Amino acid sequence: MDLESPEQQAVRAAARKFVANNIIPRADEFDKSGEFHEYLLEAAKASKIFTMAIPTEYSGLGYDARTQALVLEEWGYGCAGMGTTLAASILSMEAVLIAGNDEQKRRYFAPMLNTEIGAFGLTEPDAGSDVGAGTTTAAREGDGYRINGAKCWITNGGVASVYVIFALTDVLKGTKGLSAFIVERDRSGFIIGDKEHKLGLRSSNTVYFELKDVHVPVVNLLGHEGDGMKIAMKTLDTARPAIAALAVGLAQRCLDECVEHLHRRFPHKPFPGQTLQFKLADMQIQVDAARQFVRHTMALRDAGMPFARESAISKTLCTDMAMTVSTQAVRLMGSYGYTSELGKFMRDAKVMQIYEGTNQIQRLVISRAVLAPTPKAVPLSSAGAS
Amino acid sequence: MNFDLTETQQEASQRAHMFARTYLDGIAYDLDRCGVLPKATLDALAIHDFFGLLVPKASGGVGAGFINHILVIEAFSRSCPAIASILNNHALAVHAIAQWGSDAQKQHYLPSLATGRRLGALAIHEHGPSLGIGPDALLASCRDDGFTLTGTKAFVRNAGAADLYVAFATLEPVAKNPSLTAFLIDAHTPGLTIGPRLDTMGLKGCPVAHLIFETVAVSRDALLGIESGGSAIVDRLLSLGSVAEAAQSVGIGRAAVKHAADFAEKRVQFGQPIATLQAIQTLLAEAATDCHLAWLGIQRASQLVEDGGAFEVDAAMVKTFVGRFGAKMLIDAIQVEGGLGISESKPFGVDGTMPLARLFRDMAGTLLLDAPGDFPDTLIAKSITCTGKP
Repeated sequence: MDLESPEQQAVRAAARKFVANNIIPRADEFDKSGEFHEYLLEAAKASKIFTMAIPTEYSGLGYDARTQALVLEEWGYGCAGMGTTLAASILSMEAVLIAGNDEQKRRYFAPMLNTEIGAFGLTEPDAGSDVGAGTTTAAREGDGYRINGAKCWITNGGVASVYVIFALTDVLKGTKGLSAFIVERDRSGFIIGDKEHKLGLRSSNTVYFELKDVHVPVVNLLGHEGDGMKIAMKTLDTARPAIAALAVGLAQRCLDECVEHLHRRFPHKPFPGQTLQFKLADMQIQVDAARQFVRHTMALRDAGMPFARESAISKTLCTDMAMTVSTQAVRLMGSYGYTSELGKFMRDAKVMQIYEGTNQIQRLVISRAVLAPTPKAVPLSSAGAS
Repeated sequence: MNFDLTETQQEASQRAHMFARTYLDGIAYDLDRCGVLPKATLDALAIHDFFGLLVPKASGGVGAGFINHILVIEAFSRSCPAIASILNNHALAVHAIAQWGSDAQKQHYLPSLATGRRLGALAIHEHGPSLGIGPDALLASCRDDGFTLTGTKAFVRNAGAADLYVAFATLEPVAKNPSLTAFLIDAHTPGLTIGPRLDTMGLKGCPVAHLIFETVAVSRDALLGIESGGSAIVDRLLSLGSVAEAAQSVGIGRAAVKHAADFAEKRVQFGQPIATLQAIQTLLAEAATDCHLAWLGIQRASQLVEDGGAFEVDAAMVKTFVGRFGAKMLIDAIQVEGGLGISESKPFGVDGTMPLARLFRDMAGTLLLDAPGDFPDTLIAKSITCTGKP
């Protein structure tokens, strides 16, 4: 049985071709320079792939979650840094899809239809894993809000045209006083700071920015005051399996490069020693299992079923797997891995274990679900009694 | 059984740590950026006798033992693993000459290697599946008065910076199971060119390149040891190298754990320093445990080397152990620091650098820049089975 529909197969083939033509040839160059891959947005215009999460009624491609995962996997195969630009832009759109009204969606998606991108501003210097420790405020003023504060580690932060920014509308209420706002880049007081130079995902743009008396109208508030935390968590639920899909692609690439290298270096020896054979088998076992879990998570989401737990598991499983597989691949290639482009995949994977909620935070989420007081197993004494 | 260092070893260790803090902490960040080794650092290494550690006293060196060497490598690796790598490669070349060189060779080379006027390097690896097999393997043909060498030595550390290479070649005609012959090759020998410096992930201060030999003519004086006696030399050097590189991994791992622990005590999330969270404690504890157990194995292997016993299996076990846990130490240390752990942006921390991202890359370099991954398993298995067929 083919698990991918003909439409999905076509989407995957198109994504693979795009990645082969536009991403793989230039990934190394942008990894080295750490510059943002501006050219890619132009290249992606024709396919409108940056609108793949926007529903067709808003003129987007309207891909379901499973189909989006196929595209992200292919992008991760090419360059997880460039894939992160796509995933982070979608992340910001998801917040609007989840909490925005019709007018807000039209307004937010309009630039995206022209392959401009969005960013999601939640993290602050003292509020990383501890989202509730944020200090950015939004004070009600006349027909709008005045936002003050600073955000850091914001993906696409220096290159987006529209942002979803989280700020406290009631500082006394803590996370219950958090609200989400659409903030356009050209508003005065929006100051983009220094770019981060990172170990991995280097061509993905990451910046610190400040908001100094940034005024936004009331119509930019997503949902109601105090909905922010709920919106952020729901949005991140959708984003985590997207990162997982990128990680699956990254890991598959490492494995392919490794095999390619072995064939090149040992042309007359199709089967390397068992130590090596089994390591390759272990890598493929992990990649395949992880890919299926992403598919499962996306299928739950497409079916409208709860998937928060699976979302956290997929992110942890796949990014940890990508770290293991990329490390193993570079190691199997020895000196060749160390002096080739393969080292990039290790560095990229390391960042992926951290962003979009560290894998430690995911484990907190998962363990809460595991320990929830709902019956999970039939008590042993009564098993088979009926 | 005694795990304690002797008084002399303790002093040597303290001197190495002091040197690392004084001379290496400050250069590590820039060295990683630009890759150019400062002359002042080389001078300081020379003045403090680090180049001559393994050179016998009779040849103008310090005549220190292998344990002393390991202590220096570990200490330097906490500050700047690239320098440790350069020094280790030099020391192994020194060891080869001290062990197998003729009196004339020792007199000619060792005094200048001891003072750092000459830098040494090993040229072992090749592109082929095994030494002597590949299309560009380094082959040596006998002439009346010496040898002619043609071929390539791959991934040579200290390439370009070194004045003297201990290079291994296969004698022509190539036998079915070729054995190697060791040569001492002066960097300026006509016909020898250094390929372009390779782009490495870490240890960026330690240059790596291929050496290309085009009918390089050398006299019989260049022969180190006996003809076809090079395989035993290579095996011993690789085993010593395994122990030293494991010490380098432990130095990097300890520096990373310390950095992450300091960070965890300062970083407050959820109203408390994250060092109080069990999940963070576990990450730190496991990395510290791996460092500690690896170090015990390294000490044991080094003691065997000093006692002149068989240490190859111990060396292989140490290599396997750090191969398994080395990368994980850095993966986990960075995880503790989150976003700041992956930052290569700004000078940060006590020594003005933000080292975990660099140490991550340096660790990869330490573990990877050597022969393929499965040979230690084979060697260990041989030691515990009768057949032990590789």
